[in-house]
Amino acid sequence: MKKFDYYQPESLNEAYRLMEENEGRARYIAGGTDIIWRIKQGVIKADALISLRRIRPLEGITRNGGLTLGSMALFRNIEKDSSIARDYPSLTQAVSILANPQVRNVATVGGNLCNGAPSADSVPPLMVLEAVLTIEGPGGRREVPIGNFFTGPGQSCMDRTEILTQIKIPKKVFNSGSAFLKKGRVSQDIAVVNAAAFLVMEGKICRKCRLAVGAVAPVPLRLTNIEEMVEGREIDPELLDRVGEMVERAVSPITDVRSTENWRRVMSGVLVKRAIQKAHKMVD
Amino acid sequence: MKKVIQFTLNGNEVSAELESHKMLLEVLRDTFEMTGTKEGCGQGECGTCTVIIDGVSIKSCLYPVFEVEGKSVTTIEGLVGEGGKLHPIQEAFVEKGGIQCGFCSPGMILSAKALLDETWTPSDNEIKRAISGNLCRCTGYVQIIDSIRDAATRLSNQDPK
Repeated sequence: MKKFDYYQPESLNEAYRLMEENEGRARYIAGGTDIIWRIKQGVIKADALISLRRIRPLEGITRNGGLTLGSMALFRNIEKDSSIARDYPSLTQAVSILANPQVRNVATVGGNLCNGAPSADSVPPLMVLEAVLTIEGPGGRREVPIGNFFTGPGQSCMDRTEILTQIKIPKKVFNSGSAFLKKGRVSQDIAVVNAAAFLVMEGKICRKCRLAVGAVAPVPLRLTNIEEMVEGREIDPELLDRVGEMVERAVSPITDVRSTENWRRVMSGVLVKRAIQKAHKMVD
Repeated sequence: MKKVIQFTLNGNEVSAELESHKMLLEVLRDTFEMTGTKEGCGQGECGTCTVIIDGVSIKSCLYPVFEVEGKSVTTIEGLVGEGGKLHPIQEAFVEKGGIQCGFCSPGMILSAKALLDETWTPSDNEIKRAISGNLCRCTGYVQIIDSIRDAATRLSNQDPK
């Protein structure tokens, strides 16, 4: 394996300083379950890794009306949190079938986001739950809605010294439901397609709709046009069929080892429809 | 970059001067000569390199060794009791045919241990989920699931909670 230095700062300021001292040769590392593999494959070159695991304030999961996830919160801890399962079931569903137990024991939600994989399972639920990301760097702190975070496969709006520190999810509202679905050969595979839906209902009428689909475009997609079409209407089979058709037109999948372009396109329509139905059933 | 790393390995305090790019797997096998932990894919897919750190299972092929400082690591060697007596999970694997070629067994048994440390009454579904990060190319998994169910019984009979 290629050699690299490994730094373990205990504060954000120390991490920024190390990144500046190692400009052009270093990368931050969270749980490392993806980046180490990619370094082994030679896909990523790094002469130094700066681990964020010892920066304790990044680890926490806090309920403050809403939900604040530290970027270094482990998938294991998100999966086992019963208050998250109650209020944000789509997030629990996504993280409980993400990779496998040994990976979930090490991998972090922030790492999953910063990887920028279009197929990242944590992203569609965080998108429909309208998560806001806190990004901090030597120049200060900024907040970015998750829909503006991804700029391409493996790319985000962060610069090299910045660190994603928090993921904030608004308070759960009454009469709402959310759901996550994933299509893979087996559930723990990298998704062929994944999708999430969030609905706020008033009687039979959908008052608010949020939809997201992953692994079918260069970045995970929020389906704003389709959300607008659903809002103010009853969720009936006719509407769902139109949603499916519109999703198929909104995505731009590729063919690769896991699936063909056409299968992904058709399945993205099916999955978004089913996610709406499942979220509808979850409405409390 | 080199550093002296201290940690607990199967109950013993150990330390060694290690290079920063090493993964825990290489250090267990090459530095500490504990070759029970296997390298399969080296990519975090197959689970043969599974060890337990501070009570949770991890894949040691993707675990930078500097992160193990101050932690407690259990490998398959750590399960064997005095006089080479097998752990009840190991006994169950032997008796129920959970072992064929044996390559996946150390990782499979440690994933089972991580589960059985949490519950002695796992459902079949919980067992399947617990070993979902471990590949076996011999058994078809049926005997492994039988073994883990049997191990759960052995553990609860041995030391009733």
